[in-house]
Amino acid sequence: MTDNREQERYPGIERRVQQIGFAIAAALLLLGVQLWRLQVLSLNEFSKLAESNRIWQKRLAADRGIIYARDGEVMADNRARVDVIIIPGECPADALDTVCERLETWLNVDRQELDKKIKASAKLPFSQILVKRDISRVDQIRVEENQHLLPGVTTIVHPQRRYLLGETAGQIMGYLGEINQAELDQRQELGYFQGDLIGKGGIELFYESLLHGQDGYMLVTKYASGQPQLRTDKAGRPMIARRDTIGHLLNLEAPPVPARSGEALNLTLDIDLQRKCDALLQGEQGSIVVLDADTGAVLALASAPGYDPSVFVNRGATEERLALLSGQKPNRMTHRAFREVYPPGSVFKIMLAAAGLEENLINASTRFHCSGSYAIDGKGRRWNCWNRHGHGSLNVVESLAFSCDVFFYSLGRRLEVDRIVAYSKLMGLGVPTGIDIAGESAGLIPGREWKAAMHADKPAWEKQWYPGETVNLSIGQGSCTTTPLQVTVMMACIVNGGYRVQPFLRQEAGPKRSEKLFSDTTIKTVTEGLRMCVERKKPAPTGTGTRAYIDGMDIIGKTGTAQVASLSFLSKYKKTEDIPYPLRHHAWFTAGVLDRTPRIAVTVLIEHGHAGGSVAAPVARDVIEYFYNHAATKPSYTITAGN
Amino acid sequence: MPSLRRFISHQNVSVRLLNFTNVMRVDIWLILNVLALAVIGWILMYSVARSASTVYLYRMILFFCSGVVVTIFFVSIDYRFLVNWAPLFYLGSIALLLVVLFFGTEAKGSERWINLGLFRLQPSEFSKIIMIFFLTWYLTKIGEKIRKLGWFVVTFFLVGIPLALILKQPNLGTAASLAPLVFAMLYVAGCRKVHLVLVLLLGSMLVPVLWLEMKDFDPSVEKETQTTLGLKHYQKKRIYAFLHPEYDYRGTGWHTYQSKITIGSGGISGKGYLRGTQTKLKYLPEHHTDFIFSLLAEEFGFVGGVMVIALFAIMLFRGLMFARDAYDMQGTLLAVGVVTVLAFHIFVNIAITTGLLPVTGIPLPFLSYGGSFYMTVMAGIGILLNVPLRKKEVEQQNMPTSIANVEVYRRKG
Repeated sequence: MTDNREQERYPGIERRVQQIGFAIAAALLLLGVQLWRLQVLSLNEFSKLAESNRIWQKRLAADRGIIYARDGEVMADNRARVDVIIIPGECPADALDTVCERLETWLNVDRQELDKKIKASAKLPFSQILVKRDISRVDQIRVEENQHLLPGVTTIVHPQRRYLLGETAGQIMGYLGEINQAELDQRQELGYFQGDLIGKGGIELFYESLLHGQDGYMLVTKYASGQPQLRTDKAGRPMIARRDTIGHLLNLEAPPVPARSGEALNLTLDIDLQRKCDALLQGEQGSIVVLDADTGAVLALASAPGYDPSVFVNRGATEERLALLSGQKPNRMTHRAFREVYPPGSVFKIMLAAAGLEENLINASTRFHCSGSYAIDGKGRRWNCWNRHGHGSLNVVESLAFSCDVFFYSLGRRLEVDRIVAYSKLMGLGVPTGIDIAGESAGLIPGREWKAAMHADKPAWEKQWYPGETVNLSIGQGSCTTTPLQVTVMMACIVNGGYRVQPFLRQEAGPKRSEKLFSDTTIKTVTEGLRMCVERKKPAPTGTGTRAYIDGMDIIGKTGTAQVASLSFLSKYKKTEDIPYPLRHHAWFTAGVLDRTPRIAVTVLIEHGHAGGSVAAPVARDVIEYFYNHAATKPSYTITAGN
Repeated sequence: MPSLRRFISHQNVSVRLLNFTNVMRVDIWLILNVLALAVIGWILMYSVARSASTVYLYRMILFFCSGVVVTIFFVSIDYRFLVNWAPLFYLGSIALLLVVLFFGTEAKGSERWINLGLFRLQPSEFSKIIMIFFLTWYLTKIGEKIRKLGWFVVTFFLVGIPLALILKQPNLGTAASLAPLVFAMLYVAGCRKVHLVLVLLLGSMLVPVLWLEMKDFDPSVEKETQTTLGLKHYQKKRIYAFLHPEYDYRGTGWHTYQSKITIGSGGISGKGYLRGTQTKLKYLPEHHTDFIFSLLAEEFGFVGGVMVIALFAIMLFRGLMFARDAYDMQGTLLAVGVVTVLAFHIFVNIAITTGLLPVTGIPLPFLSYGGSFYMTVMAGIGILLNVPLRKKEVEQQNMPTSIANVEVYRRKG
């Protein structure tokens, strides 16, 4: 295989190899020269830089955006939290003991803990050890003034979130928590680091990208004898002092890249109204929703019981925090206006009435007869009206006012389940409203398709939709569930003349509303019915919601009582007070105001309140009264017309 | 007749594929040199462990041991066999590069690995060794024809294919290491100097192209820019940071800036073993891989740095000596190839740490942490050790015993 001729080396090859050798030698010599330049010629400069004047790269944390309520009231902002840390490697070994002693005396830290921590990091002497978190201003000044007595000790300023309103709107705010791995992977490019805080839940989560801001950087030279000082201005923002403790002028190696604060968030919430709603819900479990019916702006979104998001502000698990997160009943973390779902009960009739009128199945004067009970085609099982004696013959207006079940059983049968489902969704029930907050529930309006999908692998008789289910559905019972927010959207549709609005919390996010969904005649008739429900006129009979009446105001409303346990089960209790709390019905009342500016839609839900008219309606009345008295004094209320 | 047998045995030299006795006959000086460098590598890794983790040290020792196996293999095998099969390896490496391009896992934004579960396969490292063999095969095959422009140019195309694939990964560093390899091997193979000069002139025309590339570059705009050379944003940022040292300390300029401080502050005799503050305080990232030399210079000073460069130099020159005195063309070319690749890494890595070149990922032999590269280096050392053995073997088999047979054996070259 070997062909000697091809292996032959030509003359001159040795010389060429040698030339390669020279080239390499030259290159290596060049390296040697550069080393000489760096290490011998510029030795002074570099060793100064490295030893005595160290370059310190400091990340300037960005402020989180401030959250304002409607009138500029601050809901969440930032403050400077100052921690004290020690870097053992920067403290001469013989001074360490004295330093720890001083820290113990001045800052009141546990000496043993500190010693333990320092010992534990002996292998990595240049790591930061937390001495004390969140020290007072006095302590901070003391530590900073005595830098020369505390080598290796320094203060670090962190911006920290501060929630100013306590439990008011607490659940809406959400809270901040440490970023976990999944979130970090998602947001890596956006400049998040391990240990950063990120919004979890509520507004903090939904608008995280707006609120987050962008960190800056600063390069400062540090003198061996002093520490660079980070001071904070009145608003808690860290400012870089240009002198250190000894008075050396600090040398910024490069212009600092400033942090860019997060954007401010202006919410539509009226804090006074929110507080009033919280007060009204005191002692109960439930929620109140107040929307501007024409625009969808959320004026109040109250839920009880609530919590103060400040509980989550400092790191580490506290008892309170664990109790909240573990879901102890009653659950304080769930917002009952948009996350909890309830059967709508009689407030569902608003939708049915509107649907029936719009579909021309009935008109304002169509009368059905209520005998106290109803049977499909007159035979078989009977469904009762809440009024066992029957209402007699009534039209839709009166049916809404008296909340006659039988009328709506009939109407529901005529509409048929598919149209009921369609109109529900049209008015905002059973679908997410699209509000700009995290965690909204969609609710459910059961229908043919839903049932078939649910029982997909079951025999046909189980998958089929039965007329009896339509009957149940017509008065908002059965498997259907909605959120109070959705019910408010439905009410707003009536109040504003037939448009569905999308509720929004951030002022810049709205208003958004659909095209006109219902004709004026439909709206007029439904409004009449809802007005009659609230009106107090003589003679009787009056509607079910008269406890929401305010003299001189055109208030429309609808009561609702959503069953939790079956009526037959409850019949064994003689008096309402005897019924155990968890078995009582939920009390609904939804209302709208037509003759004031702005027009609002209000929904009150009291869990287990048992009777909508008597429990929920007065609350709505108080809310409405308070609102207009107080709105009159505020310049921020103007109508912004929708699209 | 004894002489006849020897005559025959010369013509058909009995080729034993793997001859482990070779291990006994290798050059002792190169071995000592390599050992010294390996030990220095461990010493430095121990220092790294103080501010990072001891796992690096243990793994480095592991790399060395695995590397020894690789070296033994390359020492024992008859290099002519490998050269003859080089074209196959060449095609194989291209296939692997294609595979990694489509199926590789990303690491730090570039596809370089194929994850085989237990370990990761880095084809671009193999291609360095394979290219050395392949070019040797090609250049010895065409022999004198290399003086012709046509064949000369073909060489570049042959190298260009894997180079383009590596560049696509994108792995600028490894791709760049192939360039000096080609030039050196062509030169030693006997090409015409004129041709080389022409190619270099062509290459220098890259400069205005580069200027065009960088002309409108604004490093603060974070999107991909127009590029004729296929440079990515971060690569342009590195070039920019190199040209404008005061820009963006925290990001792109940080490495070079900190490295210079690290080295410079080492002074003549260094801060002392285990006392390097820059590296301990995490001012210098990546100091266990690409910036290991900075650690060396910081802790052992100018003296230490020059000593290590000297050790490298001795290793390289010894390799070149083998090249010069090799028995055949193959041996010469192989040795030159290995030396060039090693020299490239040594020079570029130290140049980067001292701030003479912009930052790219080029590891330093024996000192930088990294398994795949360690294997490449040890393979190269094995080849170097192997080259002079062939001559010894031939000499051994051709000891003239009678005057009549002297004619048969002619020393060539």
